[in-house]
This record gives sequence, C-alpha cells and structure tokens, in this order.
Amino acid sequence: PRHLLRNVILIPAGKFDYDLVVIGGGSGGLACSKEAAQLGQRVAVLDYVEPSLKGTKWGLGGTCVNVGCIPKKLMHQAALLGTAVKDARKYGWQIPESLSTMAEAVQNHVKSLNWGHRVQLQDKKVKYLNMKGSLVDTHTIRAVNGKGKEVLTAKNIVLATGGRPKYPTHVPGAMEFGITNVALECAGFLTGIGLDTTVMVRSIALRGFDQQMSGLVTDYMEAYGTKFSWKCTPKSIEKLPSGLLRVTWMDLNTKEEHQDTFNSVLWAVGRASETKTLNLEKVGVEINKETGKIIVATDEATSVPNIFAIGDIAEGRPELTPTAIKAGKLLARRLVGHSTELMNYDNVATTVFTPLEYGCVGLSEEEAERRHGKDQIEVYHAFYKPLEFTVAERDATQCYIKVVCLREGDQRVLGMHFTGPNAGEVTQGFSLGFQCGLTYEHLRNTVGIHPTCAEELIKLNITKRSGLDATVTGC
Amino acid sequence: MTKYEDVAVHGYEEFCKVVSERKGKDIFAYFSGDKDDQGKSWCPDCVKAEPVVRGELSHLPEGSVFIYCQVGDRPYWKDPNNDFKKNLKLTGVPTLLRYGTPQKLVEEECFKADLVRMLFTED
Repeated sequence: PRHLLRNVILIPAGKFDYDLVVIGGGSGGLACSKEAAQLGQRVAVLDYVEPSLKGTKWGLGGTCVNVGCIPKKLMHQAALLGTAVKDARKYGWQIPESLSTMAEAVQNHVKSLNWGHRVQLQDKKVKYLNMKGSLVDTHTIRAVNGKGKEVLTAKNIVLATGGRPKYPTHVPGAMEFGITNVALECAGFLTGIGLDTTVMVRSIALRGFDQQMSGLVTDYMEAYGTKFSWKCTPKSIEKLPSGLLRVTWMDLNTKEEHQDTFNSVLWAVGRASETKTLNLEKVGVEINKETGKIIVATDEATSVPNIFAIGDIAEGRPELTPTAIKAGKLLARRLVGHSTELMNYDNVATTVFTPLEYGCVGLSEEEAERRHGKDQIEVYHAFYKPLEFTVAERDATQCYIKVVCLREGDQRVLGMHFTGPNAGEVTQGFSLGFQCGLTYEHLRNTVGIHPTCAEELIKLNITKRSGLDATVTGC
Repeated sequence: MTKYEDVAVHGYEEFCKVVSERKGKDIFAYFSGDKDDQGKSWCPDCVKAEPVVRGELSHLPEGSVFIYCQVGDRPYWKDPNNDFKKNLKLTGVPTLLRYGTPQKLVEEECFKADLVRMLFTED
C-alpha cells in the first residue's frame, strides 16, 4: 500500500552525498571533520550560532574560540598584567596608570582564529555550511539559514553542537537584564581590571572540584577585592529609571531579603546542551531527560549506530576542549577504519583560571576518601610562597599543594592539586607522570628545578595525618 | 565594466596615501617584492602567486578596491624593521589581505585559487 512507502527514503548503497557530516563547528566538530577529510573522506561541517537574547553572534570555531577558553584566558591575562604592573613598581619600575583597549584586542584575536579555521577547512577540502542542521532521518540532514535550505545525506553523522548558557527563567527580569558566562573566572578578571564585582553563590563554589581547594581559590579572590554573597539566591531584577539594575535577593541562612543596585548582572548558573532543535526524538537518538545530553557508548556512538556525539553535548563527558578534540580525531580514524583506539577520558588534567589559578588531575580528596576510605589514603601537603611574591609583598596564604595517595606500598598518586601562579603550566607536566602511574616514591626520587613553584611538589613530605605545620620553610 | 578599482602603488607611504583616500571602502591588498625592468619580481613565490590572484579578481565584491603594492627591493624587505613589517605586521611576501580585518593569505596560501576566491567572496 502506498502510505507505507511515503516516509521511506531509498538511497542506493554508496550513494550518500558525504561520507561524514558533522553538525557543529566547535572544538570537537572541527577536529573530527578535518581528521576525516585528511584520511580521504568526503566531509561537510555545519556551524550555526543562534543569536543570544541580546542578539550576539559569533563566527566559526565554537564556544572555546569565541566565548570560552580563548577570550577567557586573554582577559585573565589582562587582569594578571594589571597585578603585575602593581608588582613591577615594587621591583623598581616606574609605570604610569593607563587605560586598556583589551576588548578590541581580544575580539581581533578571536576573529583571526575564526578566519584560521575557515582557511583550514577549505584547505582540507571540508565543505563548510553556515547553516543550522537538524536530522530528518538516520542518514539525512536538513540545513537552514536566512538565505535558504539544503538537504544532505551522509553515511555517518557526528553531533557536536555543544552547549549554551542557561538563564534562570524563574527569576523575573533575568532574561531581559542579564548576560551569561563562567562565574569565578569572570568575576576574577573583572575585579582584576578594576570593576567592583560581587559573586552571589547559592550553595558552593566549583561544584565537583576538591572543596578545600575551592575554598582557597575563593579566599584569595575575597582577599583581592571580589565580594561574595554566600548562600544567597536572587529573587528578581528590575531596571531603574537611572538605567541601573536593582537586584533583590534572599539570604538562605537568615531568610532575609536584601536589595542593591548594579550596572550589570552576569548569569553563570550552568550550561545546557543544544539538542532541542536537532530533532533527535524522531530519529531515535536517546538523551538523558534530566541533563538533555546525548547518551553515548565508549566509542561515542548514540542509540543509532551511524550517529555519534562528541564534546559538551555528550552525556558523562568532561566539558573541555582537549577531550572533545581528541575524541573527534580518534572517532574520525575509527570511522575510516584506520584504528580501533577509543578515547580515554580518565586522568584528564584541568585548570581553573581564577586570579589564583588552580590546577588538578585525578581525584579530589573527598572522592579518594569515598572510594578507598580515609584510612587507606595518605595526603601530602604544603603551603608555599612563590619567590616572585616576596619582593612584591604579595600575600601567598592560599598558595597550596596537595597530593592524595594510596597509603600502602609505593603510594600511587590518586590526585594532585595545586594553587599558584601558572598552575596550568605546572599541572600539565605532572599530569603526564600521573598518566604513567605516578607514585609518591617517584616524586621523592625526582630532583626539583630551583627556584620554581613546581619544585614544591617534589619536596612534599608533611602528611595531613601527622597534624604538623605544612608551611614550607627556607630554601 | 569593472566592478572594483584596481590601483598599483610602490612603497609604504604611497600605500598609506591610497588607503587614506578610500576610507569606508572594502580594500584588498596584494604585497609583492619589487619587479625589475623585465617585469620579474625578486620574490619567486610572488611570481608564482600573481597569476592566481589576478585570475580571481573578477570575484571581488562590487565597489571594492584592489591595491597591488610593490614593497621594495630584497634588502629592504629583509630588514625586520621595515614599515610593512612594523606597521602592517606583514610576515612574508606575497601577502594578500583584506585591509582592517584579520583575513589574509600568506605565501603558499596565495597559490591556491580556491582560498583566494574565498577571501574575496566570504564575509
């Protein structure tokens, strides 16, 4: 009967427009598509930025390049340089006060990256479409933009549409008057460039991270001028005739309401994945109803065998650029049949670029206790002072290192945590050791480079269990 | 009927003068080593890239400006402090760029007609 054939799209074997179509031109999507093209596949990438509530759009490259890692690190650097200029005067430099043109410089760099990605795609013969993609069936994608639409067929499909910031829709005035981004890092550099900034925290900071370290990060920020409203939650935002925003909030401890006025309100209450417009349900791609993220297997496959998901959109994956990139490349190699290697998501190091940077790899102390029991772990720790802070008369109270190990034998390291300058640079090197099965014995048998902050990891010898003072003394 | 303006200049000062007289226009510039009396440049990559770039000029947007700029002789170019390197941040010749934007193609990138066309036609 004719009605049964109406929705069947008959495609002769080997007659797809593309071997691979990637929906999403961010960290994961670009890495996957370029790798596949390099291995000889016919590849297309769709990238489309739905404008924000305020109408903001950006170019090719995804969250990391445009509104994430890259501008974040540059603005963090701008703030650090502000602190460095203050320190410089203590070292004898005569530096006048001057204004910055930071925003423009950051935008220009981001635009050069948009262009760089565009050139790379073209050069590697990846077809690029600045159009919004959605699934029609397991092998067909619809692409739409203001100028028209197209239909593409593909043997394999990779979903890499990432996430967007959430607005607290239950707070009146939130969507009209607020903007979004990643809380502590932003509050940190905004304070650093001279703006009076308050962070309002409903319960805890840096959820999922070691909470002792999180406390050191926020203590440092408070000491350096960022205000914190702990255990408070916003009730409403109104715009006053003056143009200022009046925020009403409740202190969850005292249950009292407070009000104050601000120039800007920045929401950093989490990110949600971009899955609503992909038409996943119709095609049979399963998502976690709570998180909205796509459920994936260890090979990044979704519930549909030829459709895969990588990056922030995939359930249970770290929301990080390097893991999305690596997963994308390995997936491309598997799809071409060049390899069977799966992405290893364990032992991924990361750094929070707050004014006092925090780098870590492995388990938090809490998680290590949960898995092994407090008796089975040994925590070596130290409060240290970066040499550069001395002449600059900087407070180093929160500069701290701890290494969480198994108590027995060689004492395998379960987690490493470091707060201090250049935490990312320090942590990267040690994370390689961690990946290779680092033990406390290894640390003890390594000679430090002097004078550095990193050498303090090598010199750790005081345990939490001993109760002794963990402050590093002398040379 | 040409839809773009084709201008030839020699040296940094003349380049700046021509640009300042065309404020608000979409300006594309191709930087090449000087040509000798026989019309051959001391820069072999520039010799290779020029026909490719010229071949795509028909794709320039309506009302735009194409500036063909000879930068100077080889010793001038080799000086790391020359005006083009210092002020326009050029790193090599040939360079094809869209003035006032980060969009540019450098050296071997200029040999590829599809990249040149992309620079001329995409936003």
